[in-house]
Amino acid sequence: MFKKFCLEEISSQNQVKASVQRRIRQSIQDEYPGLESVMEDLLPKKIPLIVVKCPNHLTLVVVNNVPLFFCIRDGPYMPTLRLLHQYPNIMKRFQVDRGAIKFVLSGANIMCPGLTSPGGVLDVEVDAERPVAIYAEGKQHALAIGFTKMSAKDIKSINKGIGVDNMHYLNDGLWKMERLD
Amino acid sequence: MAEKLEPVKVLYCGVCSLPAEYCEFGPDFARCKPWLVENAPDLYPDLLKANEKAADNVSDKLQSVGISSGGADGAPSSAQTGGTSKKEEVKRLPGGKVKKKDRQEVIIEKVVRNKRKCITIVKGLELFGIKLSDASKKLGKKFATGASVVKGPTEKEQIDVQGDIIYDIVEFITDTWPDVPERSIFFIEDGKKVQAG
Repeated sequence: MFKKFCLEEISSQNQVKASVQRRIRQSIQDEYPGLESVMEDLLPKKIPLIVVKCPNHLTLVVVNNVPLFFCIRDGPYMPTLRLLHQYPNIMKRFQVDRGAIKFVLSGANIMCPGLTSPGGVLDVEVDAERPVAIYAEGKQHALAIGFTKMSAKDIKSINKGIGVDNMHYLNDGLWKMERLD
Repeated sequence: MAEKLEPVKVLYCGVCSLPAEYCEFGPDFARCKPWLVENAPDLYPDLLKANEKAADNVSDKLQSVGISSGGADGAPSSAQTGGTSKKEEVKRLPGGKVKKKDRQEVIIEKVVRNKRKCITIVKGLELFGIKLSDASKKLGKKFATGASVVKGPTEKEQIDVQGDIIYDIVEFITDTWPDVPERSIFFIEDGKKVQAG
């Protein structure tokens, strides 16, 4: 998704209306109830929220020049990895085995066997088409943010093919874009 | 009301910007190593040991130079140092990951509108330290047409000149700004880059 991504990709950036801002805040809060207590710090009401539009129906939510969330089409808002590292408990987590790290970090989608093998951990409650944080065996921090293609149960039973789409991973374009100016 | 979450502090590598624990999968682990040894020694215990070993080897080698009987010990260490220097060479030309510096070149493109009217777009003059507003004024004066500085598609500024001035813009550019060599001026013809002159 963000494999190649740089400032030049931005097609427009707008400061959004208060009503739109409210809606974004609301949907982020619905998606990540764990963030409720820090919402005010993350997306202060007073500071204008900037919505950056990019090709491929991609939207970034930017506050103080720092990208915080992104979403695709009308999909759920997903935090950037830097934000997730700060608040790791807001998302459901999957864990991949050590062998998969290399591939995930070069942008590969997450295959089922990497999640079901001994090194992997699945959160059984996750349905299909939900954002999840991807962790790695023996590592403390998340390495990617994905969007499940099938539910955790299916991943377990089918155990073949792409289980989670890799949306955003360490050292991709969005990761490198620490600040937007 | 839930307790306020404290942001977790994550140690990011100063070299490759990944969280330190992922450096080993990063683009250039070798480069991160010194930083890691200094800042996150507990994350990679092996590394520290390896480093000491390397240091030992080097000192061994130094000794062996003096006595010239290092033999078995000296050979692998020299191989090692050779390896690192090679890596350093690669470092200077990092492939793909680091954004390439813009090449200094002027690109001239003709865009036809309304079938018989056209606009000549000049890109890249700013790379030669030329003020675009001055340049557009000079171009306009020389060709007696409108010339303006416009924001291009990639947020870069370019000069749009009304009319087809491709035929002598090269000469004009090289005459007015001697810094711009003729070989770094390119035309775009049918989507292909063609060198001027």
